[in-house]
Amino acid sequence: MITVLLIVHGLMAVTLLGAITHQAFSVAAPAPGRRSFFARFRQVNAAAYARPIVVLFVLTALCGGLLYPRYRIDVRTTLEDLQLRAANGVFEIKEHLVALGLGLLPGYWLLWQAPPSTEGARSRRYVTWLLAFVVWWGFLVGHVLNNIKGLLP
Amino acid sequence: MNGPSLKIFSLLFGLVYLVVFYMEWAIFRYYPETQTFYLKNHPDNGPAILWYGWLAAAAIVSAAAALVVPRRLAERIPNEWIWEISLVLIVAMFIYEKQWFF
Repeated sequence: MITVLLIVHGLMAVTLLGAITHQAFSVAAPAPGRRSFFARFRQVNAAAYARPIVVLFVLTALCGGLLYPRYRIDVRTTLEDLQLRAANGVFEIKEHLVALGLGLLPGYWLLWQAPPSTEGARSRRYVTWLLAFVVWWGFLVGHVLNNIKGLLP
Repeated sequence: MNGPSLKIFSLLFGLVYLVVFYMEWAIFRYYPETQTFYLKNHPDNGPAILWYGWLAAAAIVSAAAALVVPRRLAERIPNEWIWEISLVLIVAMFIYEKQWFF
């Protein structure tokens, strides 16, 4: 059961990562006229991503919260035994970033509900970037810690 | 909750979360080894998870404040504060957590 939950958590995280990255790039600057891969990557309807991102963030965090007890008993104690303080530290930071991200979601949602050409564009951009940072940190740390035994010499 | 209330919630949640984390004020603790919740510390039950309690505390306080703050006052708060305060909180958290690496 825990393995299924871990895989579902990972799949939702990948989907969230893709959505928030598209949106974060799209608010960075207007897409150039030429039709390169990066231009197409940025040229999405960013507002349409807001609702899926909120839903995915909450579901992914919820899934992570359900996995957390097992992590606390098995993984964290292993990391402590191996004296991998930095690994524990990056997970602590992930925990706080996810919490701050959850708190940020209502504001993020509010900003994306406003018409795109209003003065809220600057706030919308920075809130999206902050959320993207949270998602990327959470994804990379989760991925590395999940595989840390295989990464160690 | 209306629009301006959502802004108040977002402004306060991170702040309350980091305060309760720093002070270790979890409104409850979960002990995964015995699968039990307690309001107080029970070290005999193994390691405790405080994170759920911190999240719950931040959610309750922020939601209450968001409902209480008058709409007119909430509307006067600039949208910029949402990302500015969040950024400050993230930087503060990183500064505090650097203890893990040095």
